Order: sequence, then structure tokens, then C-alpha cells
Amino acid sequence: MRRRTLLGHLLAWVLGALAVVWVGFVAIGLTTGVHEADELTDGHLASTASLLLSQRTNEFVGARGTAPPLPDLKRHDYQQSMSVVVWDGSGHLLSRTGDAPEPPFDSSEGFATLELGSPPQAWRTFARWDSPAHGRRLMVLLSVDERDDLAWDIAGQVAEPGLWLLPVVAIALGLAIRRGLRPLGRLSSDVAALNIHAGEPLQVDHRHEEFRAVVESINALIVRYQAAMARERQLASELAHELRTPLASLALHAQSLQGTLSDGERQQALARIADDSLRAGQVLQHLLTLARASHAELTEAATSFDVVPMAARVLADYAQSSLDGRHELALLGASELVVTGHELLLELALRNLIENALGHAPPGSVVEVTVDRDEAWLQVTNVHDDDARIHRNGASVSRLGLGLGHRVVEKVAAIHGATFAEVPCGNALRCYRITFGRADGLASSP
Amino acid sequence: MRVLVVEDDEGIAEGLRANLRQQGAAVDVAGSMTAAWAALRTEPFDVMLLDLGLPDADGSELLRRVRGSPVPGLPDPSMPVLIMTARDEVASRIAGLDMGADDYVVKPFDAGELAARIRALRRRSSGRANATFRCGEIDIDPIHRTVSRGGAAIDLSAREFAVLLTLVEARPRVLSRAQIEAKLYNFDQVLDSNAIEVHVHHLRRKLGEGVIRTMRGVGYFVPADTPA
Repeated sequence: MRRRTLLGHLLAWVLGALAVVWVGFVAIGLTTGVHEADELTDGHLASTASLLLSQRTNEFVGARGTAPPLPDLKRHDYQQSMSVVVWDGSGHLLSRTGDAPEPPFDSSEGFATLELGSPPQAWRTFARWDSPAHGRRLMVLLSVDERDDLAWDIAGQVAEPGLWLLPVVAIALGLAIRRGLRPLGRLSSDVAALNIHAGEPLQVDHRHEEFRAVVESINALIVRYQAAMARERQLASELAHELRTPLASLALHAQSLQGTLSDGERQQALARIADDSLRAGQVLQHLLTLARASHAELTEAATSFDVVPMAARVLADYAQSSLDGRHELALLGASELVVTGHELLLELALRNLIENALGHAPPGSVVEVTVDRDEAWLQVTNVHDDDARIHRNGASVSRLGLGLGHRVVEKVAAIHGATFAEVPCGNALRCYRITFGRADGLASSP
Repeated sequence: MRVLVVEDDEGIAEGLRANLRQQGAAVDVAGSMTAAWAALRTEPFDVMLLDLGLPDADGSELLRRVRGSPVPGLPDPSMPVLIMTARDEVASRIAGLDMGADDYVVKPFDAGELAARIRALRRRSSGRANATFRCGEIDIDPIHRTVSRGGAAIDLSAREFAVLLTLVEARPRVLSRAQIEAKLYNFDQVLDSNAIEVHVHHLRRKLGEGVIRTMRGVGYFVPADTPA
């Protein structure tokens, strides 16, 4: 479907508004024309009546009857065909001039609109007595049609220039709008041509103030998109490395088993296959956690929950494995920390941290989970021995595996509007802390 | 063939060692750039398998140092290098090859394919196009590790085959006993003082006296074929 253009939209509105204004002008011109024609006509009637009454009385005597109109008396477009009727005080017609039918006699004075003749036709009249003694009564008449013709002529004179100007103004407005919208068109073209995958920002030559916020927002989005893409690429690269390393080892040892090996070498290869299988399983677990985190972020509603009982429950699950590894587990700090988020995800993140701590802490050391309500954080502390060869349940925990585990925690923390980082807490200790932000919709306990 | 595996993951390193040994190679493993550089400065290697993600440096740094080594000396700057990595993006492959690597494999890989790539690298480095060797009437197939004369198979032990292949690949250069040992044994293996002489003796008995020659006081060599 073809989309409407903003230029067309603007033109339609502007020309529509212009047409409404023009129609208004015509209406006002017509009203004014009619009104002014009325006033002019009435004034003209009154003037004529005054002029005739000031003439000598005997001029009307003997002029009874209808005088035939003289031909070719019209000398001006606005020259009106007035009729004059004169009565004496008792209503006898003294004189009658013009086309108007004879009106009925009465003693009233002033303006009136009468229906005269057959078929009836409207006439504007002005009647007046010559003196308070009512010696003569004079009436001047003008056809209302003639008056309306004058009104329409005045209105036409007012509206006609507008009629000619309307298309000219429309074309001028169209060109002006088209020219005025050119910066917007350029911005639109630049946005359409934007290659966000290349990370190129929108050019800054859109200097109009109205575009500043748009350009800045788009560029900020590009930066955020690039950062997100870089994170995704890094994560994908790490995941690929994490998964491919044990798979490569698995493949090599499986293939070596097809060749000639001593018993010792065969046992070693089998043990390595078992280790690598567990290691690949651990990576898959991380992948599933990340997928679950993404799904929860998109589809599940956040709920309020207390971190402390959740941490206690998670620690309790590791009671036997910590005993087997000669580690001590402890939960310290606040008795309550209510946050809003996804409890299952946070539980997975905490399990990740505890497993890493148990995997890297030498036997006999303490792994502590600490909760701080005032600053709203959850921390896992362990004595870390980088040089120790780590074995847990027969499977080695790789250095890189730790990195992926932390990636999972970072992702979960980000979903909760929290930050995850290693914080300094002593030479022999390693402290990994999830600090919950209060501003991003996360409610900590009061 | 002497191979240096530079790989910090113990599982992969051991898997490579086992597979390449079965291919008759002498394999040394270095888990860091420091260890790899020390090994390269000590012994000549025919091929280096290099993982880019090393704990103390990026593998590309080691590659740069190898390619920038002075000639003659150790390490040999023309030594074939095959990168092994989990990074499968095209950009990474291009970067790796541009850094001076001769080939690139993405983990996980097939051990047979890796061996084939190593053989191809060695052929290219010695300027050969054929995968097999011919010395007079004797055909040597490094892929299937077989030797035949006029179509009749000659039964050789793995070590005898390795000695023969080393001399054939180097022909007509004379290799000293120490040079042959350096290509056949890794750092961990303990050698009998006359092991090479014993293998050469057995080879002459199976192949005939004219295939492997002795240059008294210098070493052994296989003469180049006379063009027909």
C-alpha cells in the first residue's frame, strides 16, 4: 500500500484551511454587500423623497396617471430605476412615475418592503408627508430585485480577487511547504540510508533545533545498539569457545581411542571424555539459564520476593556437596531484602556464584553469602586460590567456565536493573556482588 | 615429524598428543606463550599448532614473534603454523591468516582432517605437490603410512617409517643423528644412544642398501632421484 506523504498531508490541510477562509471572506463580502446595498438604497430613497418634497407642490398637479418612461435614460451601471408616487392628504393620486405598480395609500411614514403587482413582487419603499399638516404624501419605490442585484454585485467585487488569487496562493504555498520541508526530507533520507550495523552515526548537519532531539536520540540508539551487539558478539564468542573447547577435547579423545593406546593412555582418555562431557553439560546449563533469562525478561511479570529465604534455600541445597568438598557455607547480614524481579532467575544466578565459589575455594575455606538491606546488595565471598587445581565431583571447573558463569549472573542482574561486579574485600578473598538499583522499578524493602 | 601444540586446555592438548602420536609425530605441549617460546628456542619443530586464547598472552603475539625471528636460528620463521580456535567468524580467520598463519581450523575438528592439513602444510613448506614420495622403485605413502616396492608392501615399524619419512622429506640434505632424533622424539622421551643406527640398519635390510646413504662423520641422507 502506498503511504501518504507528509507534504501531501500538509498541502491538503493548508489548502483546505485556505478554502475555508476564502469561503468565509465571500460570505462576509456577500453579507456586507447586501447590508450596504440596503443602506445605500434606503438612503437613496430618503434622499429622493426629500428632494422631491422640496419641489413646488403644483408640479404634481395635473400629472395624474402613469407617465410613460422615457427611453435611454440609463447612464450608469448603478443607476437605479426608482418610482415615485404622490398623493394628496385624502389619498388621491397626484403623480406616479416609474415602473412600480401603484401602492395602496395609508398615512404611515418611513421605510417598508411591500408586495405589489400581480404576480406580487417585492418593492422597497420610503413614504413621507410634506408637512405636519399632511398636504401631500410622497412615496419613493425601488424593486428589491434591483437592490439585491446591487448587493450581489458588491459581494462579487469583494470575492472575485480572492477567486483568482486562490490557485496562485495554493501554488505558492505548495512550493513554500515543499521547500520548507526539505530539511525534514533530508533527515528522512539520512535515517533511511543509515547503516546501524556499521555503527555510523547520523550526520550532525541537521542544524534545525526541532531535529536536535531526534538526531541525538537516533545516535544514542545507534550507540546502544552497537554496544548491545558488541556484548552479544562477545557473549556468542565466549559461548562458542566454552562449548567448542570440551567438544574438541571429546572428539580428539574419542578418535584417539580408535587408534593404538596403552592401557594407561586408554584410561586417561576415557577419564578425560567423562570430564569433558560434564564440562560441556555445564556450558549447556549456562546456555539454558541465559535462554530462560531472556524468556523471563520478555514474557514473565516481575514479582516482589524476599532474597534472604531464597538464599537460605539455595545454600541448604549445597549442604552435602560443601561437606564433601570440606567447605563451610554461611548466610550473613540482613534478615530481609525484598526486591522486585524474577526469583527463579536470581536463584539461578546465586547458584552459579556458589558453585563457582565452591569450585575455586580450597578445601577448609568458608563460602559466605551476605545480604545488605541498606545498600540493597547480595554478595558471595570465598577464599580464592587461582593456582589450585580444582576438582569437584570428578569434573574440573575451567577458568573460562567461571567467565561464562559470571556472564549469566551479569545477564540476570541486568534484567533486575542491578549491577554485578567483583568488589575488593581483602587479599585472600573474592567478593562477587549483585547491587540492586532502586530507580529501575526495583523495590527494596523499607 | 616434530609438532609443538600450544594449547592451554589440558583436554585438547592431551587429545592432540595422543592422536598425533598415532600418526607417528613427536608431540610437545606448551600451555602458555612463555612455555611455547622456550620450547621453540630450544628445538626445531616441523609444525606448530597454535591456540589463540593463551593464559599469558594472545596466540597471535607468539605467531608474530616466530615470524619475526632472525634467520638462521630458532625458532625457524618459516615453520608452518596452524591456528586452532573456537572463534569461527570470517573476520577472525582472515585476521589469523593475515598474521602469518598457514592454516586455520575451528574447534571442534576431526583429528584425521587435522593430520591431513598438517601433511598439506608440510608439503607446501617443502615445495611438493604430491602427497606420496617415490625413491627409485620404492613408494612411500605418508597418509596411509605404507611403503611398497613395485606394488609389494614392505612391512616397517612405526619408528622405522618415521626415520625413512624424515630422511625422504629432507632429501638430498644430510641429517645428523641428532637432527633425526630431534624430529622423532619429544622432550619427554629417553633415547638409546644407538637407536637411530638400529633403525637405519633395519631399513637398509628391508629396502636395500642404496636407499639410505651414509656420509661418514656427518649423518644419513636419501639421494635425489635421477630424472628418467
